[in-house]
Amino acid sequence: MRIDMELEAYLRPPDAPMPLYPAKVITLVTGGKMVVRQVFREDVPKLLPAVRPTLDIPRDYYDVVGARLYAELLAWQRYRYRDVFCIIGQVDGLLVGIVNSRMYSPQVGISLHTLAIERGLRVGAHLFAAKMEHHIEYLGQDEVLITAESPIGFRRWMIEYGLELREGQHELGGAAPYGLTREMYFDAKHRLVAGQRPVPPDLMEVAEREIIVASEQDIIEKILGARREIP
Amino acid sequence: MITAYKCKSCGQIMYPYHYRCINCGGREFESFVPSTKAKLLTYTVIEQLPWGFDERGRVLGVVEFSNKVRAMGLIDIDADTEEINIGMKLTATWEPVRDTYGEKIYGLVFRPA
Amino acid sequence: MKPVVMAGAGMIPFERRDDDTLIDMLAEAGLRAMDDAGLGDQPVDAVYVGNMASGLFNHQVSVASALVDKLSLYPAAAERIENGPASGGSAIKHGYQAIASGMADVVLVVGGEKMREVIGPRATDVVACMAQPEAEYIYGVSLPALAGMFARLYMKAYGITPEHLAQVAIKNHANGLLNPYAHIRARVTLEGILTHPDSKVGNPIVADPLRLYDCCPVSDGAAAVLLTTPEIAKKLSAKPAITVAGIGQATDTHALHERADPTDLKAVTIAAQKAFEMAGCKPADVDVAELHDAFTILEIAESEHAGFFKKGEGAKALAAGETQIGGKLPINPSGGLKARGHPVGATGVAQAVELVWQLRGEAGERQVKNAQTGFSLNFGGFGNNVVALVLRREK
Repeated sequence: MRIDMELEAYLRPPDAPMPLYPAKVITLVTGGKMVVRQVFREDVPKLLPAVRPTLDIPRDYYDVVGARLYAELLAWQRYRYRDVFCIIGQVDGLLVGIVNSRMYSPQVGISLHTLAIERGLRVGAHLFAAKMEHHIEYLGQDEVLITAESPIGFRRWMIEYGLELREGQHELGGAAPYGLTREMYFDAKHRLVAGQRPVPPDLMEVAEREIIVASEQDIIEKILGARREIP
Repeated sequence: MITAYKCKSCGQIMYPYHYRCINCGGREFESFVPSTKAKLLTYTVIEQLPWGFDERGRVLGVVEFSNKVRAMGLIDIDADTEEINIGMKLTATWEPVRDTYGEKIYGLVFRPA
Repeated sequence: MKPVVMAGAGMIPFERRDDDTLIDMLAEAGLRAMDDAGLGDQPVDAVYVGNMASGLFNHQVSVASALVDKLSLYPAAAERIENGPASGGSAIKHGYQAIASGMADVVLVVGGEKMREVIGPRATDVVACMAQPEAEYIYGVSLPALAGMFARLYMKAYGITPEHLAQVAIKNHANGLLNPYAHIRARVTLEGILTHPDSKVGNPIVADPLRLYDCCPVSDGAAAVLLTTPEIAKKLSAKPAITVAGIGQATDTHALHERADPTDLKAVTIAAQKAFEMAGCKPADVDVAELHDAFTILEIAESEHAGFFKKGEGAKALAAGETQIGGKLPINPSGGLKARGHPVGATGVAQAVELVWQLRGEAGERQVKNAQTGFSLNFGGFGNNVVALVLRREK
């Protein structure tokens, strides 16, 4: 599809300068090594197949989170969403979770979505913490606005991070926004932010070689739990 | 403040109230109020509280008062920054310990003496 | 008293089950036990349902009557038995009494709980309702918190380390991987839950000193056994008869602080002694045990209080591998509450189901060799109402 670059010049938002998120590795309870790293526009087509199966999973609002994340990834890839960053988790190359977020202004970040494909290993919690880490420590922002579609995640974050209620609306237009300030982040960091840097080269090589996406059936079973028929 | 009970036949100290003595089955008790001085027997820092508490790091402990009454209560200490030790001396007060839909529920609160 | 056998055993996988009601789960487990016994059209005289809190979790009561209806077992007598997390063990005891007394010939005992209908903190609150109301519950105490206070004292008194606790979790999760009915199906490692710095985040404190992997998960599930007389069992099927050899139950103070020595789980000791006495055997005769490891510390403490090890020796036996499958006394080959899950009312019955399978030699990859005598311990409240069970395969 040809793009009229003259019109495109009006529509494409300018990107603010954003420092990169340095990759880290987190040891999971299984002993598995999860590489947490930033991905970019050109990686979006590799992520979409992992998000798509969630569109039909109402449990824990996976469908709402998945549909919105899918749209956000597409809009970002095609220059319709500005100042976005995306971080993924991979274990042996396999994609286990995706988080995205954006800068609303140089000072304020907006947390968008957290999608855990592997459940029960705190993948979602680790990746959510990674995006807070990026907003506060690497983008140098003062505050991140957070809301949630799933009541489980929301309550956990509100209490674990000690979030404060904010006036107005979150740009996702759902529940009231809560704020995470620099101070709250650094108070909670030792409890909630894991990982080591740099990532050993062999692990990084495996992660960067290919973003492996589980089959649609596997993704559904990972999220819903496989229905076990035992004779 | 709580009321404790001393069995008139065997001297067993109890809290909360039992209709029969936990030691001898006696039914007559002398009621009394524990002292305000207590020592800590054991404690825990609860990070994941039941529904009804929007907080983390709540410290609960079991204490023994100087007049031998034992009870559980809220230990008003910031576990992230302050030291807690078994055997530490505490002072007891009677204060709200939880809020149930706007209703304040009173209970034992202990602070380092 | 007349002898009683477990002629049938069955359960459904423990997991989060959004699509079925509690009654569906009870019915499915019940049918499995009936079919396993080869009951056919033979009538069931009584149904006992072990369930702690269907009123709070599912807004439904009289669940035993509902189960009879779902399975069309009318006019069977039916009751729900509630004894907190030991509801399942208590339900088995009531089933036993019905047959031993001669009041019934065939009894279906089903334990079940559907806890995931509410979110985690609400489930924590429902479970916390079993604590002493004015002296414990009001402070926000949870069962992990009671276990945390207990663990702090027990670990200090008997030299138990966080590594010992982690070894319980590692062993039981490894066993759980061999059990297709287990809720949590992940191998955890010492590095992942204890020694690596990231474990402080990935395995967070729930109630200090207990961490997430020291606590059982919140699960939905149901399990069932069919009790009858040895004569009827023989007519129904050729499967080896598993005799209910001993049942013991004991209570202790409601509030933890009222126990003269809070590290002494008296009700466990007494319940186990009574069960062994009734069975005419001793702890050393047991080949396989299912203990109530709602918290890792409890598996160690119960293994000592039930008489398998001296106080202070349980952790050593664990560290030496004696409690693994293949060890001297395998404990929780099913994965225990830790990995199989702990739908409170189901647990006591699920322990018995595992023992029946072990004693019949039907436990597949997690089979304990030549198991003839099995023991289970179902720990109600925080140790204030405990049911112990001894099952035996007759030669």
